[in-house]
Amino acid sequence: MKEALKVGISGVRGVVGDSMTPRVAASFAQAFGAFVGRGAVIVGRDTRPSGRMLERAVVAGLQSVGCRPRLAGVVPTPSLLMAVAETGARGGIAITASHNGEEWNALKFVDRDGQFLSPARADELLDLYHQRDFALAAESELPTETALSDAVERHWTKVAAFADVAAIRRRRFRVVADVCNGVGALHTESFLGETLGCAVTIVHGAPSGRFERDPEPLPQHLDALCRAVRAAGADIGFAQDPDGDRLAIADERGAPIGEDCTLAFAVRHVLATRGRGPVVINLSTSRAVEEVARAAGCPVTRTRIGEIHVAAEMRRQGAVVGGESNGGVIVPAVHPCRDSYTAMALTLELLAHTGRTVSELRAELPAYRVARRKLPMDAAAAAAALRALRRRYADRRPNLLDGVFIEFDDGWVHVRRSNTEPVVRITAEARTESAAEERASRFSAEIAGA
Amino acid sequence: MKTLRLSNFGVRGFVGESLTPETVLDFAAAFAGLVEGRRVLIARDTRGSSAMLHAAAVASLMAAGCETLDLGICPTPMLQFSVPALGAAGAIAISGGHHPSGWNALLLIGPDGGPLEPAAGEQVLDAFHAGAFAGRDARSIGECRPVRDYAEPYFDALERRVAADAIRAERGRIVLDPVGGAGCDFVTPWARRFGVDALAVNGEPTAYLARDPEPRPRNARPLAAIVRALGGRAGFVFSSDLGRMSLVTEAGEPLSEELTFALIADHVLRRRPGAVVANCCTTRALDDIAARQGAPLVKTPVGQAYVVSAVRDEDAVLGGEGSGSVVWPAFSLAFDGFLMMTLVLECLALGGQPLSVRLRGLPRYEIVKRSVACGPGEGYRAIERVRAEFERERPPRLDETDGLRADYDDGWVHVRASRTEPRVRVISEARTRAAAEARAERMIRWMALGGGS
Repeated sequence: MKEALKVGISGVRGVVGDSMTPRVAASFAQAFGAFVGRGAVIVGRDTRPSGRMLERAVVAGLQSVGCRPRLAGVVPTPSLLMAVAETGARGGIAITASHNGEEWNALKFVDRDGQFLSPARADELLDLYHQRDFALAAESELPTETALSDAVERHWTKVAAFADVAAIRRRRFRVVADVCNGVGALHTESFLGETLGCAVTIVHGAPSGRFERDPEPLPQHLDALCRAVRAAGADIGFAQDPDGDRLAIADERGAPIGEDCTLAFAVRHVLATRGRGPVVINLSTSRAVEEVARAAGCPVTRTRIGEIHVAAEMRRQGAVVGGESNGGVIVPAVHPCRDSYTAMALTLELLAHTGRTVSELRAELPAYRVARRKLPMDAAAAAAALRALRRRYADRRPNLLDGVFIEFDDGWVHVRRSNTEPVVRITAEARTESAAEERASRFSAEIAGA
Repeated sequence: MKTLRLSNFGVRGFVGESLTPETVLDFAAAFAGLVEGRRVLIARDTRGSSAMLHAAAVASLMAAGCETLDLGICPTPMLQFSVPALGAAGAIAISGGHHPSGWNALLLIGPDGGPLEPAAGEQVLDAFHAGAFAGRDARSIGECRPVRDYAEPYFDALERRVAADAIRAERGRIVLDPVGGAGCDFVTPWARRFGVDALAVNGEPTAYLARDPEPRPRNARPLAAIVRALGGRAGFVFSSDLGRMSLVTEAGEPLSEELTFALIADHVLRRRPGAVVANCCTTRALDDIAARQGAPLVKTPVGQAYVVSAVRDEDAVLGGEGSGSVVWPAFSLAFDGFLMMTLVLECLALGGQPLSVRLRGLPRYEIVKRSVACGPGEGYRAIERVRAEFERERPPRLDETDGLRADYDDGWVHVRASRTEPRVRVISEARTRAAAEARAERMIRWMALGGGS
């Protein structure tokens, strides 16, 4: 079956050779170039083998409408976002399907402020794409492509300016990083080793885009990392996704602590050391994060799922920290985007300042456990299932901001359609793992039977 | 004006109007389907749009799983030579050739280095029109890697095929104009190889065209003055892909581009007799030269693809066109500027005569080339009107190989719709310039299009 091209707020995504073709990439690049106007557009990609091919198509599309491609090469998505903001480019295009499997690839569009296009701006871009009436440049107006070689350096400089690098370096942490054959394979060792002074072991370090690990940094995918942590006697294990925006953590005993904890650590530490302020998280984020923030006397707002929704609300509120339950930490003082490198620096700084181990810090977090399920379901069936669920639990006054979010005394359940795949995602939280699993299974069965 | 010209060996258009990334992506994808993901070469000229079109073509080749070897900025004939040398299944050349600024083209090359065979080209066109492209999945995306060491084997082979020692012994000074195109960076290695003191005008690669890139006497005048001033043995004027060449004599006379093929044919046939291929509007001097050597002459429609196709079919020793092109199958299946320049120097070295003297031994005709602007489709109607007039006049011979050609005792006249521009082209040749012009003017009146240049 032909996989549909998914066009949404997070860009355009498809299966390579099926719905994601050079033609689609070139046309979207033309639309984007026409949208942002003639000038520099920074293009970056992850390690997927289709990345270079799509980069060629994007370059042709940008040049044809008079934009000057600046090629950042294989860089973390957050580095690309920062480079756009810092170099005065008209915008950027990230060629990455992030945590999706290697058969996927995607274009994500970056506005000149270094953030992904807002939903309203993304709609305008799509409108231009459908009109297909781009003003093509004449031969004499065609710009040449150039390289942008310092995007990662700029990124490290920003993180180093924010974090207490001296304290981290003093501890000479032993760290294992599972870079998932992604952008981290080229950059994470230098960041942890040279910038933060750690002794680094890399897992899945071939920058091949052939993922030796499931690209979502979920606990069940981190066996190799955990083994390496134990073998190296490391202080901590980090797991990145292929484009370097999300981070999961394993403790010093080689046990994954759940990606919610990444954000909980960051929120706790930022509020304790950088001053208090509003915190913004998405609907699916653990109550642990919420309780950590409230304990520090800071207000918490929940938004729809999607980095752009969280980042926009953070800007509105002047939030100091926020992010997503999937290991996406946003610290606006560095840059208002999810960044695994900022998250790594903050976590190591927390270890350095407190002198505690990861497992001890984990034990200090409010005890909640999250369980997740994923049901393949097309859009119409998913909409019907969500409507049925909403009626059945009307007395619990579900939050309908994004799918159906139902609160219970000891936790919640969140059921929604994915932005990126034809699936329904069920996330359940409770005080214990078994209760969370039980709740996720119950709602999963309800949805499947609807 | 939407101007896209598709054929079974390439696509040509105006950048920003008809030649868009989409067209190139689709055309390259259709070609990739033909070569089924095998090794493909790609190269481009220096024009401002060539890098953009190159990026689009590479994307499609990679998407189709081809192993793409990128020769970078490289003359089309050098790319063609490299196809069999590097064991490739084909190649894409991106070059505006002799066309003015704003035009560009993709030329498809077959496994033997010649323009794609017509039957294979039709398969590409069918896929292009049907939009039937074979995309590979993410695991079988092809790689694209640069290749830089292709010039040496090319010059090695060229050196083996000519009397290189005789050329070197002359230590001749020449002046050449590669129009800031793909040949620029290869002039010095060529000159060193053959011991030639070569001065290049427009010798730095540029994204814009320093002059009209068609090798014609009117575009050779600045060079002609330099040749005489420096005491050069000859001047050579090229198109931006190095596929066409015209000559300037040591006396500073710019020669008709028709004489390039005539001179080389006369030189080559004396040493290696055999069949010759020319297009149907090449100077009659070729007919005379071939007859003198007892060589059969085969006529084809206009274009490298047709000429090379006939060279293959007839096992010819030489082919070419009056527009200043020669293919020598002993070396490659390309219209090749370095080859032509080297053969001319060989001819001078072995003959021991200056160019102007050597030319006296060639039959000379006066040739007049005109073109008249017309709307899309109007050209074909104009040619129908000419046909009606010819049927009344009944010239000794009427030929329809490509457009219409009428032959008379003292010359001939030819009309055809351009494949690249909305124009009708008229060529008239006769013993005297007056007779050639009169016949061209009469033809233009018959066309009844108005305008002209």
